[in-house]
Amino acid sequence: MQLISETLEQAVEQLARLPGMGRKSAQRIAMYLLKQNDDQVFRLSKAISDLKKNILYCSVCYNITDSDPCPICRSEKRNTGIVCIVEEPRDVYVVERTNEFTGRYHVLGGVISPLQNIGPNEIRINELIQRIRDGEEIRELILALNPDAEGEATGYYINKLVHVMGVNVTRIAHGIPMGTELEFIDDATLTRAFAGRQRF
Amino acid sequence: MINTSLSLTNFRNHHQTDTVWGEHVNIITGPNGAGKTNLLDAIHYLCMGRSFSSNSDQYVVRLGERSFLVKGMFQGTIRSSFEVACSYQRGEGKRLMVNESPLERHAELIGLVPVVLVSPEDKKLTGEGPAERRSFIDALISQTSPVYLNDLIRYRKIIRQRNRLLTDLHHYPHQLDDMLEPWDRQLTETGSRIVMKRNIVIRQFQSWLEKAHEQLTGTELKPTMTYKSIGENDTSEERIRESYTFQLRASSVKERERQQTITGPHRDDLIFFLNDMELRKFGSQGQHRIFALALKIAQLYYYRDVLEDLPVFLLDDVFGDLDPHKTEIVMNMLLKHPGQSFITAAHPDKISGLTGGDSDRVSNYRVSGGKLEQVR
Ligand SMILES: [Zn+2]
Repeated sequence: MQLISETLEQAVEQLARLPGMGRKSAQRIAMYLLKQNDDQVFRLSKAISDLKKNILYCSVCYNITDSDPCPICRSEKRNTGIVCIVEEPRDVYVVERTNEFTGRYHVLGGVISPLQNIGPNEIRINELIQRIRDGEEIRELILALNPDAEGEATGYYINKLVHVMGVNVTRIAHGIPMGTELEFIDDATLTRAFAGRQRF
Repeated sequence: MINTSLSLTNFRNHHQTDTVWGEHVNIITGPNGAGKTNLLDAIHYLCMGRSFSSNSDQYVVRLGERSFLVKGMFQGTIRSSFEVACSYQRGEGKRLMVNESPLERHAELIGLVPVVLVSPEDKKLTGEGPAERRSFIDALISQTSPVYLNDLIRYRKIIRQRNRLLTDLHHYPHQLDDMLEPWDRQLTETGSRIVMKRNIVIRQFQSWLEKAHEQLTGTELKPTMTYKSIGENDTSEERIRESYTFQLRASSVKERERQQTITGPHRDDLIFFLNDMELRKFGSQGQHRIFALALKIAQLYYYRDVLEDLPVFLLDDVFGDLDPHKTEIVMNMLLKHPGQSFITAAHPDKISGLTGGDSDRVSNYRVSGGKLEQVR
């Protein structure tokens, strides 16, 4: 479809850049927005611009927050000896939803990937080392990174650095998600889960 | 596994072709360029998620169109009946679907419908470089083992990441070892699992290779396939890993010079022998051709041995190359094969006399100009 309005074309182009969005979906959303009342569209555009303006990174854990330090790092109920290492802020929310983890976090902001020119200095590994040195009395790091090659490499790298500092490093187990029907699990995951089977 | 029906839309020279297939031998004849191979290629798409005759999906789209669609129904022993579909659209890419739900990863398709393909390209297996032989062994194992396929995909990723570090090594002259270490550990871990699996399968494969070669030639020469790798002939993952780690360290100067990973299963090779004679160096053209065909028939036998479901057997233009005696042997083999097979041939007269007695097991089709019809 050839668009007749320059303004509409601009909006479609910007929307189409969003992850998971094709040109067709972008057109559908742009047309939908046109039909909404002014107030609704204004609230959306304000939310988008506030996102960049108001959101901070916590100076302790580098999670996104409205106030620095973030509520988790400020909380006195949190166990300061255990830190969970995650790749992105969204992973903090995933772990928090379980209500099981009572330690704090460290958000790396990525994983090591030479192909994308991301080395240890491009993610917040030095900041992690600094936290350990600064006397936060961290006894254990729990690696909750993706089990892909880049996540593993990042885990190895961190483990090697902090091991000599007397910090224990553990990693979360990978296997079959609870509540998932067996038939929906890919064969490789299932085979690995068989290899790691436990006594009933 | 039986492909009961197939539907092509804008697939190469097929505008719209819908057909049902016979359960045993399906013979597709027609002049060159009529679209015979394309039907086999479409079945191959549903088994492996890609073409065997083209490197790029975009060349498979019918001229002047933007997308193609292949759909097929399959009948197996464990999964009774299911549909596999593959669609491709220019600019959007490819989608694989099983029973109309899209697969997240291409790898999930592999092994669902096991396939063995015989094609004129097979001559590269015995005649060209090691990459051809590695892809043969990888396709052979991947269809029976999703873990192997996963390891393979991961290993290739690690190699790419590691090669990038070696190319950029001037950025961190004093840190390179520290930077490489996390990749080295994964490289040897994943790589040794791959080597071990190849070792085991190649050993099991040997008897099937002998059987297939004997059927094709009589008994005179014994074919063997030896595996050249780190820790070859070792079936302990631990020992293979030790030897890989050792060789990786030993090649560290060389790989910095060449700026790439030069040890590991991505450099493996298979060497073919007839008795003591190395096929690649001393084999005649005829011996090459029969060896390559024996490898594929052995693949079929191997799957019959280890898989619950029989593979779909595709033979693209094999008879063009074979003398009448060998043609008869292969045809008899197919008539006895309990699974389903598809054969293309340019000249129907070459095989018509060979199928007469088993007409209930043979279905004949004719293609011309991208149109298919069943011949009674
Ligand atoms: Zn924080």
